[in-house]
Amino acid sequence: MKGMGRAVWKPLSIGLLLISLIACSEAERGQPEPSDEAPEAAATETPRTEDGLYALGREPLYMTFYAHYGYYTMPKWGADPSSAWIRDKLNVHVKGVSAEGDGKLMLQKMVAGQQLPDVVWGERDADLERLREAGLLVPLDEYIAEYPNLRQWAGEKIINLLRSPDGHIYYFPNYYSNKPYGNAGFVVNKRIYRELGSPKLETTDDLYRYLLRVKTMFPDAVPFETGLAKEGQGIDQLFSSFKEDNFSFTRYFAVANGERMTSIYEDAGFRESALFVAKLMREGLMTQDALVQTEYQVSEKLMAGKAAVYASADPMRMIMTADAELSKADPEDGYFFIEPIYKEGLDPARIYPGTYNVLGWNAAAITTSANNPEAIFALLDWMTGPEGSAVQMWGPPGEDGYWNGFKEDGITPAFTSKYSSDPQGLAEIQALSGDMIWVGNTGYLDKTKSEYEATLPDEDQNWATYWQQNITWRSQGDATPFIKLIPPSSIEEGRIYLKLKEIWLAARAAAMFGRTDEEVLEVLDDAHAASVEAGFDLYLDYITKRWQDNLRVLNND
Amino acid sequence: MPQAATEQPYNRPDRRHDRKPFLSRLMKQLDVQLMVWPSIIIIFVFAYIPMYGVLTAFMDYNLFTGARIFDNPWVGFKHFAAFFDAPDFGTILRNTIVISLLKFVIGFPAPILLALMLNEVRHMLFKRFVQTITYLPHFMSWVIVGGVVMSLLSTENGSINIMLQKTGAIDESINFLSIKDYFWTILVSTNVWKEIGFSSIVYLAAIAGVDQHMYEAADIDGASKFKQIYLITVPSIMPVIIIFMILAAGNLLNAGFEDILILAQNPLLRPVSDVIDTYVYRVGLQNQKYSYAVAVGLFKAIISIGLLTLANYLARRSGNSLW
Repeated sequence: MKGMGRAVWKPLSIGLLLISLIACSEAERGQPEPSDEAPEAAATETPRTEDGLYALGREPLYMTFYAHYGYYTMPKWGADPSSAWIRDKLNVHVKGVSAEGDGKLMLQKMVAGQQLPDVVWGERDADLERLREAGLLVPLDEYIAEYPNLRQWAGEKIINLLRSPDGHIYYFPNYYSNKPYGNAGFVVNKRIYRELGSPKLETTDDLYRYLLRVKTMFPDAVPFETGLAKEGQGIDQLFSSFKEDNFSFTRYFAVANGERMTSIYEDAGFRESALFVAKLMREGLMTQDALVQTEYQVSEKLMAGKAAVYASADPMRMIMTADAELSKADPEDGYFFIEPIYKEGLDPARIYPGTYNVLGWNAAAITTSANNPEAIFALLDWMTGPEGSAVQMWGPPGEDGYWNGFKEDGITPAFTSKYSSDPQGLAEIQALSGDMIWVGNTGYLDKTKSEYEATLPDEDQNWATYWQQNITWRSQGDATPFIKLIPPSSIEEGRIYLKLKEIWLAARAAAMFGRTDEEVLEVLDDAHAASVEAGFDLYLDYITKRWQDNLRVLNND
Repeated sequence: MPQAATEQPYNRPDRRHDRKPFLSRLMKQLDVQLMVWPSIIIIFVFAYIPMYGVLTAFMDYNLFTGARIFDNPWVGFKHFAAFFDAPDFGTILRNTIVISLLKFVIGFPAPILLALMLNEVRHMLFKRFVQTITYLPHFMSWVIVGGVVMSLLSTENGSINIMLQKTGAIDESINFLSIKDYFWTILVSTNVWKEIGFSSIVYLAAIAGVDQHMYEAADIDGASKFKQIYLITVPSIMPVIIIFMILAAGNLLNAGFEDILILAQNPLLRPVSDVIDTYVYRVGLQNQKYSYAVAVGLFKAIISIGLLTLANYLARRSGNSLW
């Protein structure tokens, strides 16, 4: 009997162990974090202020926040001073939903599983548009009219541009701005430039000659570094050198031609730039790994001072650290921005290596899953206002904070002495702000930021801010008329767009590796023919119409 | 019954004649059953239940219907027809078959050779060292392996280009990852490098089970080392080899996914790198043509079942089949 007992007990205990293991992991996952999860409380009266607006802080506000970017993970809510302050003062509890490394897939999963987060934050592109078309987003028009901040800071024009074809507004813009912003441009290596005698570097011919000399004098260096050319970095900037007023760039495979959008493959400027790129590739004047390299590889070359000229849609991020690294060893070493390269004969003032639009970077949308969309809007509106912006940018207010209330105008923060004495602590708060400012107010932040910079001694001034103010902001083109052109994939034009995109990616790669000029042009002609076969004209009509619609909205004010 | 714990009733040779009631048989095998059931449940929940989703291959699936797939309209074989008519169909099928055959022909025997070679190594420390080194890459994800390969092969700063240049084999750096002719070689050798050590463990275990007396007898008969490998080791592990070959045949159309996605970054390589799985990912998930992607995937699955059955049939004739 003793043996029998063992035969039963052993498997039983194994089974129990297994079950308890499963139960444990379930418990871990299912256990709500007390501060982040909404309790199933009975709905009570919505708290309101005297003007009838939702009063933040009177009742706890729980919301889930999903950023539609594979690389983004929301920092823990309440772990930094700013969000802890918002949590404690306004009783707001945000729980981040991770994209798990693949935003596209994650959003599709949430849609199919019908478990949308309260707020989706991402590009105003096809993915969010599909949510809107399916009626899963909450229209914000009424709230915008009632709540003060977005209306005041964004202004009529931006709000009208946000309007969807059905007349409603679904997106709360982030970093909207009426002034140019952006970092696209050309960067030059100081040491190589000096050792080559600081030649004139303005036109594409200058650039070509310079790159040739780099190749012979510095066989170790990469003459022209593009960044991730697979995504158009570097080569798009070269395209801009060959075309004035190039606002639409390559993103629609079309260029503005009078009143119409026409094929990019037939555009003289684009064809010339394709020949130029292929020539650089053929002669070993640009990075041979352009299409395959990773950001890490690019950064390694920049940090080692191996790139002679570097152009990209956003060189600032990597070049800032590279410059700091190089100039630490030798103050004469590093990188500097040059005025955009242009083709001889074109007007340099009309060359834009990058573009911006007044709607800013991306947008936050409230989904129909939200229990109380108005409360969430009230929070976003507060965040984009002076108090919210200031808290997120300079931390909690107070005597021991970096600012303590506002000056008489009600918007300029009254900075404390700690503001100038503790730049380190401030930098820590601001390092997080990029991830935590979802509805940034560029006008407000930039104004106060540059005022802050002006109080610093020259050598402490931010390298990036210096070049932004002196070169890059000035040379970004206003592409506002070209926003929202991409057709949704639910309609014929959208399906055509996807085919055109495949043709485009293949053609751009093939053209880059063209062995002769004729071969390059043939690739472009073939791509044009293939696009026409896929329905190019229908698509061009569509984007022309959307573009003209935008122009009408813009010219109405 | 003091021996009950050591006795193994489930493995009794006469179990076919065991006519005890089902439940009591179940109770007797309880410990084994407990090990098997979780796997069966997991397979059922994650592989069988979701299978109704293949029905969407015959529908126009709309993501917003979620799991209520029957709200979508039936369209018959529309998506299959579209795939067979697609301009890329020929290229994709060719790439899938060529890449998987290459992986099979080179990648399948490679671990067997390594196992045979390792078996002859008499220095234990060296053997363990080689084993560890060769199976380590298996535990790295393709993102990491791909990153290593891409840095090795990069045109600027790539170790291989630097080495070839220093030894004078080439003058100009070679752009390995942008030239179509090299892609299959790079892909297959990276795969072999990553998986060779781990796959060889099974064969090493099988070799360890070979009766040592046979080698002693062969030694006395004067058989050389190669003869011993050829006449004793290989035939002894043949059943294992055949089982793994059948399983590999079922995987024949799995030309790979992550490895290709990561190594073939350059769109220029698409004519040689696009296989069914990458195509499904690109067209189905990224461009959101779900029904089309399901149809393509189903097509692949059907061919795979056919290949598996065929391989098993062939193997049965040699007496070592899977079923």
